Amino acid sequence: VGKKVQAIYLWWHKPVIDKELLQSLPNLKVIANSGVGMDHLDLKLIASFGVKMANAPHAVSSTTADTGMALLLASARRLVEVHNISISPSVEYYEADILGVKVAGATLGIIGMGRIGYKIALRAKAFEMNILYHNRTRRKVQEEQAVGATYCKKIDSLLQQADFVMLVVTLTPQTHKLIGKRELELMKPTATLINISRGAVVDQEALVAALQTGVIRAAALDVTSPEPLPRDHPLLKLKNIIITPHLGIKTDKATYMITEEAVENILAALSGLPLPSEVLPS
Amino acid sequence: MWYHKPAINEELLQSLPNLKVVASSGVGIDHLDLKLLSSYGVKVSNTPYIVSTDTADMGMALLLASSRRLVEGHEMAVSPDTEYFPVDWLGVEVSGATLGIVGMGTIGYKVAERAKAFEMKILYHNRNQRKKEEESAVGAIYCKKIDDLLQQSDFVLLAVNLTPQTHKLIGKRELELMKPTGILINISRGLVVDQDALVEALQNKVIKAAALDVTYPEPLPRDHPLLKLKNVIITPHIGSATKKTRWVMMEEMVESIEAGLAGRPVPREVL
Repeated sequence: VGKKVQAIYLWWHKPVIDKELLQSLPNLKVIANSGVGMDHLDLKLIASFGVKMANAPHAVSSTTADTGMALLLASARRLVEVHNISISPSVEYYEADILGVKVAGATLGIIGMGRIGYKIALRAKAFEMNILYHNRTRRKVQEEQAVGATYCKKIDSLLQQADFVMLVVTLTPQTHKLIGKRELELMKPTATLINISRGAVVDQEALVAALQTGVIRAAALDVTSPEPLPRDHPLLKLKNIIITPHLGIKTDKATYMITEEAVENILAALSGLPLPSEVLPS
Repeated sequence: MWYHKPAINEELLQSLPNLKVVASSGVGIDHLDLKLLSSYGVKVSNTPYIVSTDTADMGMALLLASSRRLVEGHEMAVSPDTEYFPVDWLGVEVSGATLGIVGMGTIGYKVAERAKAFEMKILYHNRNQRKKEEESAVGAIYCKKIDDLLQQSDFVLLAVNLTPQTHKLIGKRELELMKPTGILINISRGLVVDQDALVEALQNKVIKAAALDVTYPEPLPRDHPLLKLKNVIITPHIGSATKKTRWVMMEEMVESIEAGLAGRPVPREVL
């Protein structure tokens, strides 16, 4: 059976692509990933077997940006907390002082202004937010102006000014634990951290401490390390946190589009044509 | 006056012969008998514009949370029984979907401005059609008949005020006109929806889900079926509940009271 396999469509990081698997599939030509993140793959190893790799960047950006905005709003308005109050068996009346944070006029700092980060900026602009961003490279002036975004060459500057910090970077050795104790302490005590990138971008222990001691106000995480977290993890017990099960691109429409993109890449590889979204080892 | 308390009735008004002004928090005045108050020579004020942005934000927060099953997802993520996240656990796409706004006043329009950034197609139903420039700015299409809006929308958002005409505006008939994949969001008043019909519609999958910032009454009785449905998000009427907005509301109410007591024109008077 191994000899017949020419393509793999990776769904949620399964199967695990290691040397053993690659050796057992001599005719494998392409691995197409469902989604855009490739941090779970050893790109050099796969390339060394002459296997091409592709991701699905176009299908994910809007949906993931939507997830980011959903988390930002849910956290700002304490949505999970108040839903639980609304349905709680012991509630007799609503307290008048369950207050959230006003989004309009607040400052959003986007760390990682790629396709997804930019779509977030487009959405945040409609909410009358003030937008700062930090990125490896600066975007074109017209792109900045279209969303009213101000470039922060130094991440510190963004962290100190933002009311909401949204992480939208890819996971690389440079972004591993990008947000640690130092970065959290630079943030405002009234600020919220939102992570839709990868769990490993945040130093989770430092985050627990920061949330427990009020160094930052709250966090909303669509991604953790690992997923799911162990059931006794301190993050699960905090009041000022929302955790979602890697919603990212989990919609009917996005799932369909990702599969279409993957199939396109697979067919191209099998026909010896250039792949629409090939990923090369850097 | 906060959250409709105290209840203003004839008895109360008779016991307060020197009452000059009632300052009501928020924009809705459906809880006040304006004719009665006027007959006692009492002026009424509200805080209309300041609440609009936060309420529109709440509408979008509920739309996004409901479409992506955020509350359900959080529960799964923190539940002691969770071992893994199922791969076929999906929500509904917001980007590019159709949003039908019922009631395109200040709040409804702000919702449209936000929804546009999500590449949503926007339909609206209103007593009057908005100006062409206003429609173009948000790409909104007028539906003279509410039925057209209900049939085409993936998300139906209620942003009307409560009047005898909008009482139970959304009932069995309207819910059945909606798509079975449709989601209802209510940021107006609980009474705009026929709650019994809504429970039935949700239980029988006539519509997919609902997200309600307002119910009737508030809070609901603890044994109400809406509290038990998995596909319902309920928030405790927090449309305008942010520190900044509440601060301004307080300032506005005090301003109106001071003016009323001094015999000056009352800012934000409701006639």
